[in-house]
Amino acid sequence: MSRYIAQRLLAAVLTLIGVSVIVFVLVRLAPGDPARVIAGLLAAEEDVQRIRVKMGLDQPLPVQYAMFFGRMIQGDLGTSARTREPVLGEVLDRLPATMKLALISMTMAGIVGVVGGVAAAYRRNSKLDFVISVGTLFGISMPVYWLGLMLIVLFAVRLHWLPAAGSAKATSYVMPSLTLAAFSVALVARMTRSSMLEVLGEDYVRTARAKGVREQVVVLRHALKNALIPVITVIGLQFGALLGGAVLTETVFGWPGMGRLLVDSIFARDYPMVQGIVLIFSFLFVAVNLLIDITYAYIDPRIHYD
Amino acid sequence: MKNKPFPAITLLRRRSWLALVGVMIVILVAGVSCQPAPAAQPEQPAEVEEPVSAPEEEAPAEPKEPTAFRIAVGIDPDTLDPIQNTTTTVGNMAEYMVETLLFADKEGDILPQLVADWDISDDGLEYTLHLREGVTFHDGTAMDAEAIKWNLDRLLDPDLKSPARGTFNVIEDVEVVDEYTFRLHLSDTFPPLLAALAGSSNATIISPASVDQEGNSYETITQPVGTGPYIFKERVKGERIVVARNEDYWGEQPYYDEVVFRIVPEAATRESLLLAGQVDLIILPPISDLPALKQNPDVEVLLAPSILTLCSSDLTTDEVLSDVRVRQALNYAVDKQAIIDSVLFGAGQVLDAPMSPSLYGYCPQPPYEYNPEKAKQLLAEAGAENIELGFIAPTGRYVQDFQAAQAIAGFLSEVGVKASVSTMDWPSYVGAILIPPEENELDLHLLGWAPDFLDAFQQMLQFDSSQAPPNGLETSFYSNPEVDELINTARKETDSAIREDLYCQASEIIWEEAPWIFLWVQRFPIVYRSDVANVDYHPTEKFAAIYARPAK
Repeated sequence: MSRYIAQRLLAAVLTLIGVSVIVFVLVRLAPGDPARVIAGLLAAEEDVQRIRVKMGLDQPLPVQYAMFFGRMIQGDLGTSARTREPVLGEVLDRLPATMKLALISMTMAGIVGVVGGVAAAYRRNSKLDFVISVGTLFGISMPVYWLGLMLIVLFAVRLHWLPAAGSAKATSYVMPSLTLAAFSVALVARMTRSSMLEVLGEDYVRTARAKGVREQVVVLRHALKNALIPVITVIGLQFGALLGGAVLTETVFGWPGMGRLLVDSIFARDYPMVQGIVLIFSFLFVAVNLLIDITYAYIDPRIHYD
Repeated sequence: MKNKPFPAITLLRRRSWLALVGVMIVILVAGVSCQPAPAAQPEQPAEVEEPVSAPEEEAPAEPKEPTAFRIAVGIDPDTLDPIQNTTTTVGNMAEYMVETLLFADKEGDILPQLVADWDISDDGLEYTLHLREGVTFHDGTAMDAEAIKWNLDRLLDPDLKSPARGTFNVIEDVEVVDEYTFRLHLSDTFPPLLAALAGSSNATIISPASVDQEGNSYETITQPVGTGPYIFKERVKGERIVVARNEDYWGEQPYYDEVVFRIVPEAATRESLLLAGQVDLIILPPISDLPALKQNPDVEVLLAPSILTLCSSDLTTDEVLSDVRVRQALNYAVDKQAIIDSVLFGAGQVLDAPMSPSLYGYCPQPPYEYNPEKAKQLLAEAGAENIELGFIAPTGRYVQDFQAAQAIAGFLSEVGVKASVSTMDWPSYVGAILIPPEENELDLHLLGWAPDFLDAFQQMLQFDSSQAPPNGLETSFYSNPEVDELINTARKETDSAIREDLYCQASEIIWEEAPWIFLWVQRFPIVYRSDVANVDYHPTEKFAAIYARPAK
C-alpha cells in the first residue's frame, strides 16, 4: 500500500510538472500582448516596452520557463502582472471561497446523489424513479448560467429570501451551491442508479434475500457497497468539474473565488496568475483523485495495489 | 417490495461500512468545517447584504445601524493604486477615497479642489499651484507641497506602470515653493495640463507616509490613504470594497456612513440585486433590459452622456479604402440612429464630429445622413462596387459591440459592400489591430476611444499619423500632413480661442476625409433605486453619487 502511494505521489509530481509546461506554453500561444493590455490603450510604446522587459517577456521562451520553474519549486509563483501582487497570496486569498463551494457541492453530490440513486434503483419503474430520472435529466442538461439566473430571479427578486450575490452571509451559500451541485448530484444519482440496478440483479443478492437477511441490509450492505466503486470514481472526477464549474458559478453570483480570478487574468493575459491558478487547480484535482484511489482499497478489499 | 427507511445508525456497527462512512464524513466535515467560518464571523454590517424584506417599517429602532449606500459594479479592481489603475470604474471607486488636485465639472470647467488657486506663467511653461490649507490625509498627516511633489514624482517614475505617464511626461520638475505652494516646470507648453490634473484618476493624491502602512509599498498601493470624503475600510477581493465616511473631511460631508462597492461581473445579477433592493445603484445593466427598467417605477435610469466615441476605423492604407469616396460612402451607407435605437436600446448618440460633444475642442460638422443611394453612387464613381472587406469587433468591451458590428455589416451589404464580421477577446483584438499596415488585412474594426479628461488632445491622437502603430494607436493609419500640423500646433497653443479653432479646422478635414465610419457617442447607463436622490454622472463614464441621499 505505501509503495503504491509513493508511486502515485511520484506520478502526481510528474503530472504537475507536465501541467506547468502545458499551461506555460498555452497562455503564450494565445494572441495578445500582455504588456500592452497592462499598460492600457493610451500608454506610450516606450512604456509598453519597459513593462515587457520588466515582466521578462523579452527573453526567449525556454529562459522564461526556466525562470518560472526555478521559482516554482521554491514555492514562488511570481508576481501578478495585473494586480502587482504575489500570485500565491492572491490565489490563497481566493482559494477558500472556491473550495467551500466545491466541497459543499461535492458533499451534496455524494449524499443526495447516492441516496437518490439508491432509491430510484430500489423502486425501479415507480413514480419515484420517474421523478428522480426526470430530475436528474434536468440537472444534467441545465446550463449553469441559466439555472443560476433563474434561482436569483425567484429567490432574490421575487421572494426576497436570499442575497442575489456575494458571500457575506450564511444564506449566500444556498444558490451558488445548488447551482454548482446540480450537475454533479444528477450525474452521481444516475450513476448510482445504474450501478445499483446491475448489482441488485446479482446472484449473491438473491442468495442474501433467500437466507432471510433483512432487506435494508441486503440493499445497503450487499448491494450498495459493491455498487459504489464506479460512483466514487465519478465523484472524484466531478471535483475537477466542480472547480471548472466554479468559473461560471462565481461569475453569476459575484463569488470571490478563483474561477473569477482566472477569467479576469486570462483577459488581462496575466501569465503568472493564469499559470499559478491552473497549477493549483491541477494540484487539488490530482490530490483528490489520489485520495479516491486510496479509498477504493478500503471499500473493496479485493483491490490490491502492488 | 418492502420499502422501509434505512436506519443509518445500524450501519455504523458494521465494520466493513466504516470506510465508506468515513469517506463521507471526511468530505462532509471538510465541507462543513470550511463552511461556517463566514457565517460565524458576524460578517460586517448586516445591512450590506440585507435582502430587504422590510426595510422601512423597522425605522423606530434607528440609532446605531450605520447607513450604507450600496453600488454594484462589474469590475474587480486590478489595483487600488491610484497612479497605476487602468480602468475608469476603478478610478470611479477610488475617488471616494483619493482626490485630484483640481476638479473638472460636467462641462469641463476646472474648479478648485485640493488646489485652491493657480497661476500660469505667460510662456505657459510654469504652473504655480496653491494648495488648500489645513487639509489632512486620512492618516492625519498634512497634505502639503512636499506630499504633492512625492505623488507627482511617483506618477512620473518610469519604473512604475502608470498609464497616465505619457500625458504628464511634459512635467519636467515639481518644485516645492513653500509649505502650500508648488510649481510645475514643463518641457513644452501643454494647455490641457490642468484638465488632465483634474480629470485623470491617475493623478489622485495619497499620503506619502501611507506607503509604509500594512499592505502598501512604493511599488503598489492596496489601501489608498487619501483626503477624500470616505476612508478605506475593507476589501474582499472579488467581492466588495467598503469605505467609511471621513468625519474630518475638509469639504461637504456626504450623507451615508458607508459606501459598499459590490463586485458583480454578471450584468443580469447586478440588475437582480438592484430589483431585489439589495443594492442602491448599478452601472451597465443588461442593455436589452433598458426599456423594461425605464418602465419600472422602483428604479431610475440615467443614460449618461459620455466621451466614449465608437467608430469603425478604416484601414486607410488599403487599396480600396484609400479612396476617400469609398470611406464617405461607408458613412452614408450606415443608418446609425437605427442601430442606436434597435441594437443599443437608446444607449448612444450619433456622432457629429470626430469627438464627443463633452470635449473641449468639439465643433459639430454636417451629418452624414443615411443615404444608401448616395453611397452606391460614390462607390460607383470610385469603381468600388461589390467589394469585400474584413471587419473585426470585440465582444463585451463596449455596449452591444459585436451586435452593432453585425448591424453595420448588414447596412454595408445593402450597398454592395460585403463585410464579414468576426470577433475575438480583448487582448487578441488589441494585438490584431496593432499590426503594421504592410501586414494588416483588417479593413474595418470597431473601436471605442475614451480620453482620460475632457480635452480633444488625446482624442486627436487618433488622427495623428505619428501615432500609427507601433508608436501609438492610430489604427486607421490615416495620414494628412495638414491635420498633423493642426493637431500638433493645437496641443501646444496656449491661447484658448485659437486652440479651439485649430481643433475645429482639424475636425472639419477629418470629417470630410472620413478615416472612420463615424458611429456614436456611447451613453453610460446608470440605474438606481427611486428612493435615493442626488445621483448624477460625469461624462468620463463615471457615476457621481458621493452625495447621494434618501429621496424623502
